[in-house]
Amino acid sequence: MTEAGIIGADPAVRIAVGGDTRTTGEELLRSVRETSASVMVAEVGATGLRGLEPLVLATLDGETAFLPRCSVERAQSAVEALDDGSLPTGGAMAVVEHEPGIGRLPTPSDGPLAAGERTVLSACGWAMPTSVEDYRAVGAFVAPDVEAPDEATARLDEAGLRGRGRCDAATDGAIADRWATAREAEGDPAVVVNANEADPRATMDRLLLESAPLAVLDAALAAGYALDATNVLVYCNEADSLAHERASEAVAVLEDELDEPIPIEVLAGPDEYKAGETTMAIEALEGNHRLEARLRPPYPSEEGLHGRPTLVHTPRTLVQVDEVLSKGDGDHDAAADRRTRLFTVHGDDVPSTTVELSADDDLSAAREAVPFDDHLKAACVGGVFGGLTRSLDVPARANALSAAGLGTNGVIELFGDEQCMVAFAGDRAAFGETENCGRCVPCREGTKQLTEMLRDVYHGEYASEKLRELMRVMTNTSICSFGEDAPRPVRTAMNEFEPEFRAHADGRCPAGTCK
Amino acid sequence: MSSNSDTSDPIWEDTRGTDDGRSWIDETIAPGTATDPDVESGDSATVTIDGRSVTLDAGSVLLDGLERTETEGYVPALCSYDHNERIGPRSECRTCMVETEEYGVVPSCSFPAEEGMTVHTDADEASEARDVNLDLLLSNHNLRCTTCGKNGRCELQHVSIENGVEEPRYGVFDDREEYEPMDDSSPFIQIDRNKCILCNRCVEACNDVQVAGVLRMEGSGGDTRIGFQNTEETMMESTCVSCGHCVTVCPTGALVEQGLVDSSTIPLPGFTHKNSIGKIVGGEFTEKPRNATPMIEEEYTENDPVVEVVETRSNERLAGEGDD
Ligand code: SF4
Ligand code: SF4
Ligand code: SF4
Ligand code: FES
Repeated sequence: MTEAGIIGADPAVRIAVGGDTRTTGEELLRSVRETSASVMVAEVGATGLRGLEPLVLATLDGETAFLPRCSVERAQSAVEALDDGSLPTGGAMAVVEHEPGIGRLPTPSDGPLAAGERTVLSACGWAMPTSVEDYRAVGAFVAPDVEAPDEATARLDEAGLRGRGRCDAATDGAIADRWATAREAEGDPAVVVNANEADPRATMDRLLLESAPLAVLDAALAAGYALDATNVLVYCNEADSLAHERASEAVAVLEDELDEPIPIEVLAGPDEYKAGETTMAIEALEGNHRLEARLRPPYPSEEGLHGRPTLVHTPRTLVQVDEVLSKGDGDHDAAADRRTRLFTVHGDDVPSTTVELSADDDLSAAREAVPFDDHLKAACVGGVFGGLTRSLDVPARANALSAAGLGTNGVIELFGDEQCMVAFAGDRAAFGETENCGRCVPCREGTKQLTEMLRDVYHGEYASEKLRELMRVMTNTSICSFGEDAPRPVRTAMNEFEPEFRAHADGRCPAGTCK
Repeated sequence: MSSNSDTSDPIWEDTRGTDDGRSWIDETIAPGTATDPDVESGDSATVTIDGRSVTLDAGSVLLDGLERTETEGYVPALCSYDHNERIGPRSECRTCMVETEEYGVVPSCSFPAEEGMTVHTDADEASEARDVNLDLLLSNHNLRCTTCGKNGRCELQHVSIENGVEEPRYGVFDDREEYEPMDDSSPFIQIDRNKCILCNRCVEACNDVQVAGVLRMEGSGGDTRIGFQNTEETMMESTCVSCGHCVTVCPTGALVEQGLVDSSTIPLPGFTHKNSIGKIVGGEFTEKPRNATPMIEEEYTENDPVVEVVETRSNERLAGEGDD
């Protein structure tokens, strides 16, 4: 069931929607199809810029008009215009000239879509997510070419590729090492695509599964072939229904395309932050009714799913694997991962916006994609357990982010002057207290004491050293990344905004928001 | 390798949901805990602990080495248990942290002893971690030793004294409003969860040693507690066979033999363990409301997997294969 693609069609209308705007997208699709039978119309994956959805892209003669937040009437008139041989440019946020039949989203030279680059995101907003024709239009499947497994691993090693996202068992660590470990370990290896990221700020794994599922699964199969794995499991979030639908459609497509596909199963886990932790993901996949983290070492690459060597990678990591294996890597700088990273920018009145930054960009490049005109008091970088920074002049590389005390889970939340940093710290500590799995003392009891000590600040007691001691121990001794990361928001808030803590202890909120 | 590596089975075949997500208890033991990897060393190893060299057999963790030598720093290792007894390491209390030159601060009870490792017990970060984690345990512990049935034979009391705890930095659990009611229902075993350190020894004794499948770990975060696999609230209504293994392994006064609840307390007129909690469940039972074994299979448990299978053609095909 090879689905015809849209790439190469001209004229063409694309409707780019994600899980949140899907119903509107379907309505648009139907009405546009009713309007014209001659123009090729298709639903494509989202661009990652939620504020533009539903985004309609009208293409004619190598020119595309971007129609954001498109109504049914507007979409119908756009397709009528195409039928009449003219590009509907009225109300367009951008009109971009490009090579006819281009395989990747042509990006405007200004506006939100111009921020950063679009390498792993190139199909998002342009290709039909589960169309083999569209996937092939820009390159071949990488999995069937993994003949010499060591070669694939060596190429990842040369690229210095590191895992991306907290749900990746190799987060910030070398992918090639895990593949090598898993190949050497005893037992039949398994590959887990961990897309269960329940932090609503970190939408990039969901975006990739919705918009580029073939690239994600192609890379997962490549990992499977490289390891001689017997199972591939896609672990999604139960709330991301479009993501698991697309993943299972993509599985069907791949089974038809590849000669000896490794069995791929798609499973949906709970919409809970802890459920994304790599060993809790494995616990969920094994069918446990209650989730808690496993001890390590040994890590899942040696003993994971049912005791078998297991790779756990996020869609974010896998699309990079796909890039390295399909296109190679220009600079062979094994010391540092020079590949792009995805960041989702959030803020009050700022729609969720996913931007791809190169290793040479600073985080400030992502801010250009969103309308945030306030004075930037601070940004929380890395998701719910990210770190606070006053400045976005931090390079978008894992090492640089960690060195600045920030998280690497690819989220940038922008805060204006009205955000109280003590309240922020308290909220994040309380999240840790309620959401942890309960297994280990430094996290279970530590998050509770941390929350209580932050409450005490409001009653006049700011025990800075005692707080820092507690947070050191939580980070040094928790079983899993949850407890290691949970103190980061508080620690960085204290580093950057100590006077606000002291002011609260004196009964005053400088931001004027706490009573 | 794992007994479960029959790879042609679909992964969800391991899940046993039946009506309402409940299963017959004899089909499966569901302790609610994670399946940890094997953390013991593969080969024998010589490690250096505080400058002294110790040679350990294959199957060892660093703590085995600490137990064989004089250490500079005191290492409580509270939740650990003899790992030849099929219990632990749970490695949850983190009062066994030591510094290694190779891997930084690690939990000695669950870290494989590798050839050539160098361990320092008195490094600042390690001893800080042990002190803080012990105090964190006490912060959630109803510390009233004089009325406790394990007074004088309690591991938490022992390590706290050894570690020189005088005033725990986060205080102790002393909020009567917040106490969980004591379970006094069983004529053999009394449960006071306000003294539980969640070391999981009882759960493992019950499931892995006795294979009785009574106790489990349940809840998450601050609500984590030991409970019963048949989902009842009291020991008397559970499927307990009163073998007593859980009490034997319990390091604290959370599980106490009914006959010994007052044996080691200091007599203060009108002041007992029970009235220090103020809330008791199960006092009304005079006989067991139902038969225990052999009727155990009549009980239900809740072990509905947290994952759901998303239908794909591949799933269907695999499920089909599983049938033949
Ligand atoms: S760090 Fe937190 S989430 Fe992880 S095992 Fe410990 S209690 Fe559970
Ligand atoms: S006494 Fe009861 S609860 Fe305790 S180990 Fe034996 S059967 Fe399990
Ligand atoms: S009841 Fe005792 S043995 Fe069981 S978890 Fe609590 S402290 Fe450990
Ligand atoms: S004894 Fe090692 S964590 Fe408790």
